[in-house]
Amino acid sequence: MGNEIDIHAPGVEMRKSLCYFCHANCGVLAYVKDGEVIKIEGDPNYANQGGLCCRGNSALLHLNHPARINHALKRVGEKGEGKWEKIPYDQAIAEVAERLNQIKAESGAEAVATAGGTTRTDDWARRRFMNQFGSPNGFHNALLCWIPTFMAETCVAGWSPFETDLGKAKVVMLWGMNPGASSLGAMRGYTDLQKAGMKIIVVDPRFSETASKADLWLPLRPGSDSALALAMLRTIIWEGLYDFAFVRDWCQDFDALREHVRDYTPEWAAPLTWLTPDQIRTAARMYATNTPGCIQWGCTWDQLGTASTTTSLTLALMRAVCGNLDVPGGDGMPGPALNFLTDEEMEANECLPEEQKAKQIGSDKFKLTSWPGYTLISDNARRTWGKTLPAEWFCEAHGPSVFKAIITGDPYPVRALIVNATNPVNSYGDAKMTLEALKRCEFLVTVEYWMTPTALLSDYVFPAAGALERPTIVTHYGATDSFLGGKRAIQPLYDRHTDMVFWRKLGLACGQPEKMWPWETEEEAYYHILEPLGLPIGCYEDFVDNFRMYYPPLHQNKFVANGGFWTPSGKVECDSTILRELGYPGMPTYMGCSENEVDDPEVAERYPIVLTTGGGFMPYHHSEHFQMPAIRYLYPDPYYTLNPELAEKLGIAEGDWCWIETRRGRIKMRANVSPEIHPRVVYVPRGWWFPERDGSADLSNPFGCLESNTNVLTSVDVEDCDPMGGSWANRGLLCRVYRCTELDHEYKAADAQWSIPGSAAEPGVTVMPSDQKMARPHAPFEAPACEEAPEGFYRVWQNGQLYQEGTHFRLDESGWLVNPRTKGYHDAYTGWRYDPDSELLVDDETGTCYTMDREEVVFRGGVRCYPGPAAPYEVPEQLTWNAEGGFAQLADRPYVYDPASGWLVDPETGAYHDAYYGWLYDGATGNLVDEATGARYDMEYNPIVAEEAAAAQAGAASDEEGA
Amino acid sequence: MTRYVMVVDQSRCIGCQSCTVACRTWNDLPLDIIYNPVVSEGTKGTFPEVYRTWTPTQCMHCANPECVPCCPTGASQQDDDGTVWVDYAKCMGCKVCVNACPYGMRDVSHVVPRFDQYVRKCTFCRDRRAADPAAEPYCVATCHQRARVFGDIDDPNSEVSKLINTTHTERLFTELGTDPQIYYIPEMGGGAR
Repeated sequence: MGNEIDIHAPGVEMRKSLCYFCHANCGVLAYVKDGEVIKIEGDPNYANQGGLCCRGNSALLHLNHPARINHALKRVGEKGEGKWEKIPYDQAIAEVAERLNQIKAESGAEAVATAGGTTRTDDWARRRFMNQFGSPNGFHNALLCWIPTFMAETCVAGWSPFETDLGKAKVVMLWGMNPGASSLGAMRGYTDLQKAGMKIIVVDPRFSETASKADLWLPLRPGSDSALALAMLRTIIWEGLYDFAFVRDWCQDFDALREHVRDYTPEWAAPLTWLTPDQIRTAARMYATNTPGCIQWGCTWDQLGTASTTTSLTLALMRAVCGNLDVPGGDGMPGPALNFLTDEEMEANECLPEEQKAKQIGSDKFKLTSWPGYTLISDNARRTWGKTLPAEWFCEAHGPSVFKAIITGDPYPVRALIVNATNPVNSYGDAKMTLEALKRCEFLVTVEYWMTPTALLSDYVFPAAGALERPTIVTHYGATDSFLGGKRAIQPLYDRHTDMVFWRKLGLACGQPEKMWPWETEEEAYYHILEPLGLPIGCYEDFVDNFRMYYPPLHQNKFVANGGFWTPSGKVECDSTILRELGYPGMPTYMGCSENEVDDPEVAERYPIVLTTGGGFMPYHHSEHFQMPAIRYLYPDPYYTLNPELAEKLGIAEGDWCWIETRRGRIKMRANVSPEIHPRVVYVPRGWWFPERDGSADLSNPFGCLESNTNVLTSVDVEDCDPMGGSWANRGLLCRVYRCTELDHEYKAADAQWSIPGSAAEPGVTVMPSDQKMARPHAPFEAPACEEAPEGFYRVWQNGQLYQEGTHFRLDESGWLVNPRTKGYHDAYTGWRYDPDSELLVDDETGTCYTMDREEVVFRGGVRCYPGPAAPYEVPEQLTWNAEGGFAQLADRPYVYDPASGWLVDPETGAYHDAYYGWLYDGATGNLVDEATGARYDMEYNPIVAEEAAAAQAGAASDEEGA
Repeated sequence: MTRYVMVVDQSRCIGCQSCTVACRTWNDLPLDIIYNPVVSEGTKGTFPEVYRTWTPTQCMHCANPECVPCCPTGASQQDDDGTVWVDYAKCMGCKVCVNACPYGMRDVSHVVPRFDQYVRKCTFCRDRRAADPAAEPYCVATCHQRARVFGDIDDPNSEVSKLINTTHTERLFTELGTDPQIYYIPEMGGGAR
């Protein structure tokens, strides 16, 4: 047999792990022998039902790959020269910490930034470090991935309705999403349900793997999503296909929205989307008349540049008016985790001073996804849910603006960058500018698996522990109420460490207090997160072994029980008050994508072809996995797709190397000639680089990281970014395509020339970032005047209610504070909770109870005492009233009379004694025992003779054994 | 009797190649050997009237295999349950069977010396089934889409029997008389048609 490894052999332990190669985090069973993983397979008892994709199946190749970085590396040559000294991890941490502290002392904490990639890492730890360090300048690719959508959806309805309840859905719209090449577990679900009758609408310019199975495919012009969405919303509203009752009961400003979308007809959208009005109407009717239905979020929404948040806002309203919010078969709104700790509670946001928050780069422009918008949304979440969404991911610096700040010093110099779990030159927009920023960064630290272009340019490189070497939890960016977990199969190999350990060590080395980093391992931290659930577990591994996943009881239609949606007004806000407060239109107002032939006809003349980028494709994930030949052979070269008609026009044959050029630059890719795309569109895969090359050989293009990198073509110019969420332009750009010729075949240094703003014709900085205009200027907003709030309270203008500062509890008409999470009442003066069972006030911090007159209540043995001469209840005649202690007692015995049960309670032991003789109740036999004599009595005070007692005791003993 | 077959549902396959990579890693295959390639002609038609299908292939575990009788050493053989496999202890790497297989589903490696001594091919994961009779071949277990279904065609209650008896299935190159035991549920272009 070819496979000599026996997973059933003695000594092989199976450990329930989770895949770590994309955020689907499929279940993996790892077979471990003598500390070595010998085999993996998909977990048949997890959501993936045993399935694993190309990436998941290559976990062992990844774990043991010879090119992995295994030790901390300190640069000894010039930047990028590739000369390193291996040093112990902790020494590297100490040296980095010293340098960071020095930069902080010289230039302020904000001069230190950190870049991340996609969710997977425990980035509450990153935020915990940055908050204590004092810098607001952490960022990820979050703006390209869900976050602007989440914020827009939360403005509309109070949380993102992202948990599709497909089992009962009649239709699902997969918009800008291709699960057939990105999340295979989900694709299986769609396929199963489709075969059971559910309709699938796919909106994708390309005939993707998913589109090939769809019931309706809308091949729109890339980037025209906002026009399509608006025309569909218009159709649904003006054809009367919406949910009248829902709109009447739960939507605010619907009439204004109806008028607002009046002109967005399918006929208006047709030339923008390259679809026919009939196609648009068909899709709108299919979605709106097959209720309940789901709209699955797709990455595209956040990658349209200028039109991003407009699109997601439109789609948020579309599902709302169709009555699909939080209903069975619709789009579920989980809300924050009320039963275990949210990521936000792990972030220590209280450590970051207000003046540092104000320095967050980009927050003056892209307010929705940075501190200004986050504060409004988060305060509202605290008022409505009682918990809030994480600041990490949802409230970040604008990544490209930080890179520009490194180059230009505008708005202030950023001197140090810690890159953890990303390779920005390949995953962020405008790669040439990004590469320049990495080169110019005074102090660059990278945590990585591989020697990426970014790692190559670093001063220190830390080895990262990855799949199988770390436990993994899934909480969807910390924005959901469910929790899934897997164990690590083995401890990290070599000197690799996980990201949480990196941040913890760095934090401690920077002087952050030990008590702020109490968890040495992920397992300890995860257990801390899970503890409030009250599960019978003693450690995190118990959770994985015995539970693996936690889902709160499914509670749909929560808005009904809650008495409203979780917006400031309590309604679905068709004209979002939060967006208006931030200076944005509250209703979706059409914007074209960053480059299009209608708004930019001159550009279209020179660049007549529409470019779409950013799609996921097997077997890679973002810019990862190019190192592994065992999957690289499936997709060895960067292939872009063009239609045969276009190929013929341009004289391009299958496999030809071609240049693809936008205003910002050009890249080389090979032609995949296929009718899956419109003749005026090319589809370009993302993230390509060549790890097999010598990175140091050409530092203008290390590891070929620019040569075939689609992000050379994308734009991060301020006017190309979404004015609300800040996402940059990946889709629907304008380009031209031509074949590489003999004379023009090599990638040259001139091709790597960077510029701000992005323009191959004008190298260098021609306009400072802060002088660049936004696509849509902020509109000043003034809240309607409302009555002033008393001290310690503030008033929310949308609903006129008073809320306590700090706690965000609502001040009820009755004069009590209402806790939104528990719906419990709290005393407005002290904050003590009213406990309806005991009718007392409870200070939850100390556990002390108070009367309604705020007098402390004393308990002895769990029995409430009433110090004073008069007993508030009838005291049995054989007992005496202890005025000082405030309880009834039997003679001089120390027991407390419990009027509720009629027994005496020993406050020392909690044991019960009868109220006439003070005899101890023996629960094992049901007897009363006179402790002074040892005599036993039954409950009628009849003595039990010795044999009976012996028999009773023997019976008790055997009962114990039996138990 | 037990007779193992596989049903491949092309209406479910999305061409992710997970089975190919899974097989490669499970069997520790060199780069030039693939037991179960997923082949596709790509997208066909004229935009936007297009369709695309994938055909997962592998050894057909034929009822009447060409590759077994031609073997001079008896290394290439077939179990009673239909599994065609090569006993490496007997194989001398003469490659007669490689030429005999009309489906091109067996080969020696030309890049890894350790693997050029004997002919390798899909065994319906004989090793997995030997260790655990209930185990499925790994390409079946790893398929998210459940496009591959494995089972006993002689058991009328097995999923494969039910599929074969209730659905239109096709087999490859039946005209050659090899009686291949991989059954395809074909798809002509997806639900959008």
